Amino acid sequence: MNQFFLQQGLSKELELFPHIVEIALKKNNAIRLDSLHATSTNSLRIYYVIDGKFEWILHDQQYILYPGDIAIILPGQKFGSGKGFLDIGTVAWINIKIEKLESGGNMIPGKWSGLSKNESQTIGKILMMNCSMLHIKLKEAGAIIETIKAELLNQHIGFTARVNQLIDELFILITRRLTQQNNSRRDFPQTFLQLEQTLRQRLYYQWTVDEMAALVGLGSTAFSEKVKNFTGFSPLNYLINIRISEAIKLLKRHETSVTDIALETGFYSSQHFSTTFRKLTGFTPSEFRKNNLAKKEI
Amino acid sequence: MECVITIELGTNAVRAFAFDLTGNPIASMKGSYPTFHVEPDYSEQDPEQIFITMLYVLKNLLNEKIRPQKHKVISICFSASMHSVLAVDKNGVPMGNVITWSDNRGKKEAAALNASSSAKKIYTATGTPIHPMSPLIKIAWIKNNDKEKFKKASKFLSLKTYIIQQLTGRYFIDYSLASATGLLNIKTVNWEPDALDYAGIDAAKLPELVPVFHSPGKLLKAYQTSLGLPAGVKIIIGSSDGCLATLGAGVWEEGKATITIEDSGAVRIVGKKVLQDEKQRFFNYLLTKNCYISGGPTNNGGVIFDWFAKQFGEFKNAFDIEHSMELLINEACKVDVGSEGLLFLPYLLGERAPIWNANARGCYFGLNINHNRSHFIRATIEGILYEIYSIGKTLQEHRSIKSLSVNGSFASIPFCAQIIADMFNKPLYVSKSDSIGLGAFLLSAIEMGIYKDLDEAAQTVVLPDNYKPDRQNHSVYNNYFKIFESLSVKLFDEFENISNLQHKKG
Repeated sequence: MNQFFLQQGLSKELELFPHIVEIALKKNNAIRLDSLHATSTNSLRIYYVIDGKFEWILHDQQYILYPGDIAIILPGQKFGSGKGFLDIGTVAWINIKIEKLESGGNMIPGKWSGLSKNESQTIGKILMMNCSMLHIKLKEAGAIIETIKAELLNQHIGFTARVNQLIDELFILITRRLTQQNNSRRDFPQTFLQLEQTLRQRLYYQWTVDEMAALVGLGSTAFSEKVKNFTGFSPLNYLINIRISEAIKLLKRHETSVTDIALETGFYSSQHFSTTFRKLTGFTPSEFRKNNLAKKEI
Repeated sequence: MECVITIELGTNAVRAFAFDLTGNPIASMKGSYPTFHVEPDYSEQDPEQIFITMLYVLKNLLNEKIRPQKHKVISICFSASMHSVLAVDKNGVPMGNVITWSDNRGKKEAAALNASSSAKKIYTATGTPIHPMSPLIKIAWIKNNDKEKFKKASKFLSLKTYIIQQLTGRYFIDYSLASATGLLNIKTVNWEPDALDYAGIDAAKLPELVPVFHSPGKLLKAYQTSLGLPAGVKIIIGSSDGCLATLGAGVWEEGKATITIEDSGAVRIVGKKVLQDEKQRFFNYLLTKNCYISGGPTNNGGVIFDWFAKQFGEFKNAFDIEHSMELLINEACKVDVGSEGLLFLPYLLGERAPIWNANARGCYFGLNINHNRSHFIRATIEGILYEIYSIGKTLQEHRSIKSLSVNGSFASIPFCAQIIADMFNKPLYVSKSDSIGLGAFLLSAIEMGIYKDLDEAAQTVVLPDNYKPDRQNHSVYNNYFKIFESLSVKLFDEFENISNLQHKKG
């Protein structure tokens, strides 16, 4: 592979792709001091190691990356070398401007992307949840960056569509690899327990089955079937279980208002909370609380 | 048709069954809940989550399977895992999670009590081995390590006590579950003063004691409404999973033993007398007054085979452990009985009966250059079952066993059942249905007058032996077992040393 360097504003190849900030491949044959200090940018950067061994600071932690590894640096995260220079070796990278990526995981890549709204959300969530562990082995990334470059230079029919598809594909591969490396793919009870803990930490959030499935690294259908087999409930019903049991604890503590409890435990509204709660327990949340209060006075 | 519902609050899940009045299961449903390990020795569960899961499962069972068939529910009978402890405050609100049977935080307290002069007296009076599993030890741990909680706690409940209190409004514990707390005198059937002293509580801190047939009262109005059950449905407090599994397996006469292997395992016998063991190796739990279920528990049952499959099994599809286990068993079948001299000590989780050594660790022994992967698979399964046999063998120092009844997901795998028959050299039958649920049904049926007593009820589930022992295999196993047995005690010092090093590292 030959070296190249395309940059938004300077390279006319990128004129049709305002979201690509930079795409490059660099063979570094000698150490140049002060060539790579830790910086942060507002774009999402993906570095792929082709050969050599790179000691990088990712998100304030030192890591060593080997050929086939990629590092993903989210907007605002720091990236660079602790020693201030780029190690000897070959590295390719692409910087992409993301329209929106909030800390909660709400992500809008931009009009160029073919990902659906749900898919982007799920990808954003998984990136944010792994934000301190974003370096993985992903050999496919090298070929994708290389193909993007070829498409940009050759400008064959359909190249705008292909370039954007390839960037989407890169995101999809990263997300899938992240969720799969987090799970052994052997121990469902353990994986499910991790999922449950994630859900409990953000119970206020309206989780979708797709998001839960992605966290476990399974497709939605396989996920729903596994959960039903293992827990006896569909994923959403299992989630309602957790929501109501947390709500019961808060109701018994008499500190939070019923409306706040509804929102904290992830119901759309106090109405939704009240109906769901009553269906299962026979009490409305307020009755349930009063009942416990009455007992208190005895 | 009239039916009885049984609710089993198990280790990982609640299971609800409906039986017709002749004891045939007509419907079932389950819902699982997690166990949290906030520290390595801790095992806790969320009592509200278990309550809600139980309600949800019961409601779904009624709506989807009972009402459409126009069945009429007569009674609901409960069973639960043993040894759980839940502290509640003066308003009855849980103070944190329920501590489950597998929690080991009380290791120091257990060792201290075991070393003291009152150990033997307390064990003899209560029938529960002095071990971190015992609620006696757990409450003592809270007293020593969480003084605030100990002071504020108005009661220490079992999980089942809490669930039934939520449904009916009152705190009860049956003699049977209470006999596994280490706090009940199994002869007087009252709380044992010495044990209460050690735990630092008085009887008022514990639920009221009642027989297993007792009805704690009607369902609260709200639950009658939400579940759609009439006020007349009788709630029966029931017993523990261990005792009901024994009843439900039809083991109710001398000369019979029951073997249960799920994740953990146990060998149990039934008798009118307490089994007095000098070395304090066995539990003696009560089902009803003067009816004792005695035996020994192992930590290392099917959970060890699970571990093996996860590490070394093949996974064609993500998380498909069932398929992976099937392949392993097929491979193990091809190896000769005795794994050509490869032995496995299964003590990955420390061990309870018969060696009662929390420091015990796993070990493959006898490895030679001709052993391959398949030998490891078979040796692993045989090791788990040698351990079961070693419990059975110590029991036979006290009682003779003529035949076995086997249940639980691991023990009822045909390959395992045959090995058990061969090791024990006894005929055995594998129970068909869930024996805990069936045991709870039998209790309800006695309460309703369908059977006159436990003996008559248990006789209805006796099945013909369907596995016969092979004498030749028995003698092969027996020779290897001698080495297994001697290793399990001989390595005492090494177990302690390696466990100390492992703890340091962690």
